[in-house]
Amino acid sequence: MHLTRLRLRSFRNYGRLEAEFGPGFHVLLGGNAQGKTNLLEAIYLLATLRSFRGVGGAQMVRHGDKGYFVGGQVLGQGAHAMRMYWSPSERRLSLDGQPVRKLTDYLGTLRAVVFCTEDLQLVKGPGTRRRRFLDLLLAQTDAGYLPLLQRYTRALRSRNLVLKARLVDEALLESFTRDVVGVGTQLTQLRRELVPRFSPLVRLAYRRIAHGAEELRVEYRPSVKQDFAVELAQARGRERTYRTTLVGPHRDELQLLLDDRPAVQYGSEGQKRTLAIALKTAQAEYVGGRHGTPPVLLIDDVMGELDARRRQGLLPLLERAHQASGQVFMTCTEVNWPEELGSRLQRWEVKAGTIEADRLVR
Amino acid sequence: MPMPVLPAPLADLMAALGKLPGIGPRTAERLALHLVQADPSFVRQLATTLTNARDRVQGCATCGALTELQPCALCQDDRRDATLVCVVERAVDVWLLDKAGTYRGRFHVLGGKLSPLNGIEPEDLRIAQLEQRLEREPLREVILALPTDVEGDATSHYLARRLAPRGLKITRLAHGLPAGSGLEFADDLTLSRALEGRQPIA
Ligand SMILES: Nc1ncnc2c1ncn2[C@@H]1O[C@H](COP(=O)(O)OP(=O)(O)OP(=O)(O)O)[C@@H](O)[C@H]1O
Ligand SMILES: [Mg+2]
Ligand SMILES: [Zn+2]
Repeated sequence: MHLTRLRLRSFRNYGRLEAEFGPGFHVLLGGNAQGKTNLLEAIYLLATLRSFRGVGGAQMVRHGDKGYFVGGQVLGQGAHAMRMYWSPSERRLSLDGQPVRKLTDYLGTLRAVVFCTEDLQLVKGPGTRRRRFLDLLLAQTDAGYLPLLQRYTRALRSRNLVLKARLVDEALLESFTRDVVGVGTQLTQLRRELVPRFSPLVRLAYRRIAHGAEELRVEYRPSVKQDFAVELAQARGRERTYRTTLVGPHRDELQLLLDDRPAVQYGSEGQKRTLAIALKTAQAEYVGGRHGTPPVLLIDDVMGELDARRRQGLLPLLERAHQASGQVFMTCTEVNWPEELGSRLQRWEVKAGTIEADRLVR
Repeated sequence: MPMPVLPAPLADLMAALGKLPGIGPRTAERLALHLVQADPSFVRQLATTLTNARDRVQGCATCGALTELQPCALCQDDRRDATLVCVVERAVDVWLLDKAGTYRGRFHVLGGKLSPLNGIEPEDLRIAQLEQRLEREPLREVILALPTDVEGDATSHYLARRLAPRGLKITRLAHGLPAGSGLEFADDLTLSRALEGRQPIA
């Protein structure tokens, strides 16, 4: 799967951009603040409808303009055209010229995995970060997951509002509890099945990158231990005090352990960074494995942070993406991209919201 | 130099049309421009049709369906099974189910579904009216034909629970109603099957 065309209008510092890409390696070169990360952000947005910088639509609209447009063409199993427009008063999303009615019809057309400095939050940040990571991984590999997650979220928000009322209507609470429990149980089950399949990949990736002696373990700590209904009923007293749902997959944790100790508290900065990259590497491998084709890799500034030895650990992933006619976009500030990558790089010069193809290197 | 301004009545018309569901600012603008340039007799006629329809169509005091008569034709039709009542979300669902042809009982329109996210509570729905009907009319079975999304399901279970002490038979449509949508996406055949296969609600 790869992105063959990208069109931007009023997106960040791009007034207009038309670019065509082949499969393989693309290195985006340019000085600071020229628009390298913005380009990766646009591709990721097209794939997931989210910014990896965790911001909303308004921030991505070019200063002074009304709304942004991002369009792309993807070649995978067949060719697809994706288009999105966002302005404060209007949102449009279409796939192959048809307005998208259900997100599940759209997501999956372009699969992407991003490596960026924000990833460190996967290790250091609160549990929401890791739950969102699990959710994305499941949404990218199981078509039924997203509708369940959406349903759970809606039922949970409804239930929490019922709990916030001055006088809690027990019958009403019970009516929303049914879905929270039923759908929540399915979510827990899917996460429970995922983690053992996924964690060996993280371990291997970590070992490959870190060359260290420490053992990494990734463990799923579900909020629901056995029976959601029973555990929720037991929490009812405390819920009366806190006025919110205290048990459920929205409270799950993905624990990251280095030599059996939580990496958040005991890991060094370097270990945490390596761990974050290992999680993303494993995501790319898992998603690629499930679909038989690697996702598009978006690598922002990450190589610069790693020493040559650690970079070496990432190579197998990049090589594989290359061989399987996948696609990699990587940003670099100087012409110091990892020598190891060798041949067949497409270099792009990024300058003040424009990009220009360099000659093919070798 | 002063900016050219829209004539106030035209601006008012755009604003009014823009309040209609499904009409965005662009469409409102297009419709308004069309109307102020259309044949005056057509526009006058349209205005009369609008007020007429609004004045003469009302919710049936009994079942909530849209009607000119009180009570509505469905409520008056004594060939229909007076022991069955089918509970639906919106007035339009009554026609959809009736059109499907298999169902020959009474109807009751709730006028919405329970939705904390939209601030809709039990008192905002026609639940008390349903309870009054259960007292008055010889009803023995309540069929819940609500959507299968989060709010629809919660409403079904809420009703089942609230009506349980009356010792009625309470069922819901078996299947076939696409999740997250109303009844309008279900075709006649699907509706008929769903009605035949209705199941007791837990
Ligand atoms: N909404 C916006 N409208 C216009 N310009 C924007 C907008 N958002 C960001 N920019 C500009 O985009 C530029 C930053 O782009 P980007 O983050 O892609 O830089 P970069 O090339 O990745 O740089 P670095 O090497 O420092 O990471 C800045 O000049 C910033 O002012
Ligand atoms: Mg950058
Ligand atoms: Zn009636």
